[in-house]
Amino acid sequence: MSKIYSRALSPDELDRFGEELDALRARTLATLGQGDADYIRRIMAGVRWLGLGGRVMLMVGAILGGTVMPLLLWPLCILGTVLLGLSKILENMEVGHNVMHGQYDWMGDPALQGRSYEWDIVGTSDSWRKTHNYSHHTWTNVRGMDDDIGYGLLRIFPEQRWKPFYLMQPVVAVVFALLFEWGVALQDLRIGRWFAGKMKGRTLLKMTTPVAKKAGKQVLKDYLLFPLLAGPYFLPVLLGNVVANLIRNVWTYMIIFCGHFTADSEVFPKECVRNETRGHWYLRQLRGSSNLTGGRIMNLWSGNLSHQIEHHFYPDIPANRYAAMAVEVREICARYGQHYNTGSLPKQFGTVIWRILRHAFPSKPGPARPLIAAG
Amino acid sequence: METAIRRPNWLSRLNAVWAPPAVLDFWLSRLNPLWSWGHARARVIELHPEADGVTTLVLRPNRHFRGFRPGQHVTVGVEIDGVRYTRSYSASDMPRADGRIRITVKTVEGGKVGAFLQTIPVGSVLSLGQAFGELCVPDEPAPCLMLAAGSGITPLLSLVNAQAAAGFRRPVRLAYWARTRAQLVQAEALRAFASRHPNFKVHFMLTGEASQAADELEGRIEPRHLTTLLSGDEQAHVLACGSYGFVERVREVLGDRCLSFRAEAFSPPPRVIDASDQGHVRVTLLKSGQTLDIPRNKSLLEALEEQGVKPRHGCRMGICNTCACGKSSGATRHLHDRSVQHEPTQALRLCIQAAQSDLSLEL
Repeated sequence: MSKIYSRALSPDELDRFGEELDALRARTLATLGQGDADYIRRIMAGVRWLGLGGRVMLMVGAILGGTVMPLLLWPLCILGTVLLGLSKILENMEVGHNVMHGQYDWMGDPALQGRSYEWDIVGTSDSWRKTHNYSHHTWTNVRGMDDDIGYGLLRIFPEQRWKPFYLMQPVVAVVFALLFEWGVALQDLRIGRWFAGKMKGRTLLKMTTPVAKKAGKQVLKDYLLFPLLAGPYFLPVLLGNVVANLIRNVWTYMIIFCGHFTADSEVFPKECVRNETRGHWYLRQLRGSSNLTGGRIMNLWSGNLSHQIEHHFYPDIPANRYAAMAVEVREICARYGQHYNTGSLPKQFGTVIWRILRHAFPSKPGPARPLIAAG
Repeated sequence: METAIRRPNWLSRLNAVWAPPAVLDFWLSRLNPLWSWGHARARVIELHPEADGVTTLVLRPNRHFRGFRPGQHVTVGVEIDGVRYTRSYSASDMPRADGRIRITVKTVEGGKVGAFLQTIPVGSVLSLGQAFGELCVPDEPAPCLMLAAGSGITPLLSLVNAQAAAGFRRPVRLAYWARTRAQLVQAEALRAFASRHPNFKVHFMLTGEASQAADELEGRIEPRHLTTLLSGDEQAHVLACGSYGFVERVREVLGDRCLSFRAEAFSPPPRVIDASDQGHVRVTLLKSGQTLDIPRNKSLLEALEEQGVKPRHGCRMGICNTCACGKSSGATRHLHDRSVQHEPTQALRLCIQAAQSDLSLEL
């Protein structure tokens, strides 16, 4: 259903393509400074204020609503839940994800160090640094190497082998969206390998310990400690926390799926990365990623993953720079005859849903789309 | 002033679940930038120009700072253009009852932090490390000779002030080298001590100007100076502080003509920084305590692996940040753009950096 306009590049062209993108990177790096530091601190403050606002609203709504003003229960609790959800979205996407890529390592601020930051989500930062920063970003959309392709649950690309299990995919996809943070938390454990008898129980147990600890902390915080602050009006606060986490889960799922599973994004065979050059790596990142339009609001609430292409080119450059870099990236892609995959959230997510539905059933891959011109 | 580190009990661990230190610090710093749950910070409350390019800062630390002994240094952290830099400075006065610390900062050629601190607005908040350093006056009452060159005067000022407060119970003699008279720090205060206490003598040693006053001498340290500085047959404890070259020269000139010799060099031994990528450097691995010689012409990750060290690593091309580790000293060169980094950092990517000079890594 998709029309691909990208042409294969000759090895020479690929080298120049890579050099131009490297030059853009160097130009941007040279200008990092106070503005970027102020930006991430402003976002950090936004996370804290939204979080405080949300938790206070929930608490006040639950207590006032439960005692003197029952009319206030719903409005305040809904407002509190939304604010808390927004705080978690901002923390996970614009702070957690970006800081863990090392985007702010140059600042030397211990609170913003990529290798030690711990985020507000059930999965551990350590496992994310491995599955995401390493596996996914190095081997983007390479089958058998990038576990993010369908997260071991879904068949998104016709290149994945069909199994009857995938007939349930539309339901699985919805459940996965709601419980997304748990999916991400368990991703690195590869429980499937244990079911298949390829991993020892003891190995799995050892890997599970840190994950269980982190998840336990999150559950304790959101579903016990904060609700308990409201005393007998425990229930609305608990519900608010559950819903805030669900809002965050569904939103991040949408943004992440739009990043690599839209109609025009491609997957690559393992052979593709053998002796891969810098230019070839860039081209693979481009063909496997897709952007979202929507301006500054979309950039903020997606943690700048609305610029998934720029993020994959430059995962360690502060994300607030992607919008400006995108202008040049687009121009470079156009000159090399490469399709720059972008569109509105409804449009891009629509194609994601179509992929999920279509490939639940057996499907055949289209013709090969080589990255490098033969000869 | 030692505080025992408390073992976290179940209650404090439970508290950390919903109010982690980073969150508490955020809210505390909204109320007062000086407040923190666990970090030492200090507010700049006074700024005094002392001499050419030399300024004294008076700092008021928060309750996490555990104090210092005369002769010790503190690490000060400032943010310039979004980047945090840290430098250590000696306290230039003895500890005071009000807990304030005085540091004296000199601008060095091309130096970022020194120049920044010269004009820092009063009221700014700096981050602070706990005091460290071993320079002190020995307990037994033999005479003491202090030798300072340039910025080396700061820890000795702190020691002199402490001696003065105790009424100079032993003979103390200070020789202070500077190029010109205008570069001398606290000369008047030192002269005032000397005129009041028969047990304290000060000599200003000028290397770029002729001596005029009775307490001035000329030239870099030489054996001939010792007849003045170590007058009579009595043996003295010697303390020296200055550049690496100065301290080495003092050691040479003194030989064994002293009871004890303690020295502190504020600059490390000169490092040969060679822009080519030939040869080897020495790498100290701080966590495992190993010292290795590695070649400068390949990535640190590769070079360390060849030596049998297996640091955490991922993509090997600078994308995933897995191999990032702290570097406390030394210079590295970026393999792609060849830029050189001298600053200590908490996150050095081993796979795309090569050694430029000797290094200390947190591995």
